[in-house]
Amino acid sequence: MDGREIARPGPDRGMVFQSYTLFPWLTVEQNIMFGLAERGAPMDKQRAVAASFIEKMGLKGFEHHWPKQLSGGMQQRTAIARALANDPEMLLLDEPFGALDNQTRGLMQELLLSIWERDRKTVLFVTHDIEEAIFLANRCIVMSARPGRIKADVRIDLPHPRDYRMKTSPAFSELKARLTEEIRAEAVLAAAH
Amino acid sequence: MFRPLEPVSPPARIALGVGFFVLFLAVWAFATLGGYVSRTFLADPLTMVANGWELMTKFNFAYDIGLTIWRVVGGFILAALVGVPIGIAMGAWKPVEAMLEPFVSFARYLPASAFIPLLILWAGLGELQKLLVIFIGSFFQIVLMVAVAVGQTRRDLVEAAYTLGSTDGGVVRRVLIPANAPEIAEILRLVLGWAWTYVIVAELIGSSAGIGHMIIDSQARLETGQIIFGIIVIGIIGLVSDFLFKAINRKLFPWRFA
Repeated sequence: MDGREIARPGPDRGMVFQSYTLFPWLTVEQNIMFGLAERGAPMDKQRAVAASFIEKMGLKGFEHHWPKQLSGGMQQRTAIARALANDPEMLLLDEPFGALDNQTRGLMQELLLSIWERDRKTVLFVTHDIEEAIFLANRCIVMSARPGRIKADVRIDLPHPRDYRMKTSPAFSELKARLTEEIRAEAVLAAAH
Repeated sequence: MFRPLEPVSPPARIALGVGFFVLFLAVWAFATLGGYVSRTFLADPLTMVANGWELMTKFNFAYDIGLTIWRVVGGFILAALVGVPIGIAMGAWKPVEAMLEPFVSFARYLPASAFIPLLILWAGLGELQKLLVIFIGSFFQIVLMVAVAVGQTRRDLVEAAYTLGSTDGGVVRRVLIPANAPEIAEILRLVLGWAWTYVIVAELIGSSAGIGHMIIDSQARLETGQIIFGIIVIGIIGLVSDFLFKAINRKLFPWRFA
């Protein structure tokens, strides 16, 4: 990244996993403060950062809840806040909404878009959901089935700010048709092996 | 009622739990007071209570109870203070585990009671010997169980901590230990129960006071009522300490029960 070789995980790359990885013994607020605490940031800075993300992520009123008491969508919002609280240069998301129901997933996509439109931080988002990929991305990279190589690199020229109505526009459908073809070919190959 | 895994209501739970104690007492009373079992071998509940009262009022049995509790708690705390950190180290660092695990697995099967003659030679008949019996009995169990618990920490939580900038030491301090603290407390609760067996065995041999000593003393005089009273006292203390342990865990780890 930026010419440096990456050998191990670090706080300059925020990461959100598909599985729920909030620390169950910490409250929402303490989870968000975890990275700052690990780097020895002063307590009032930790609190201030946590408070601002709790606000942005719509977690107000749940600061002192434990992860177990939250819905899946709230847990993933907290996980994104926890990653962003470190102010990383890049956000890595590995199917973060994969375990959520369709409606919640749609709302989470809009939330993530609005964060990106505000901060313009590089986000690498891995997904199997073509619609999700087009809606969120400016650039879609299609990976081939084993071995995983880059198969296609598609620019998504939909204008920002985007909203959910865009998912039914003709331009969107066209992109979706094209990516569906690319991916179907890979899926057929993968299933044949 | 007969559907598997169907929960019971709290009042029904208490009624059933108390009911079985009552049933147990009833069978015991029927067998002894009804004359089906010889009094020489098994005292009836009334004699047991009378003997117990006599022990408490005339023979200062409370002192023996206190002494036994102190021995268990003392030996157990020593074992926990040394065993828990070693167990955490074994769970966290695989080379430490590779070095210690075979030996601890071996030592775990050495019966603590078999060490008593040796410990009497080394430490005499004093309190140190009693504490050491309990220490040997609890220590290896604690080490091994804590190591297993820490070793099974969810890997994804550890990875999440690294992506948030944790150092190796930070992962141990802020993930491995808090994640397993409730498990460790549960292990200690279990091992404390076992420690009670060791203390009584230690007191049966070469002891001048304590619940175990009273039991072996009563055997010589065929006072089965006193023996049973002693055993029941141990049971009650176990029940109370278990209850306390659970209450403390609930207080310390609210996130587990939320």
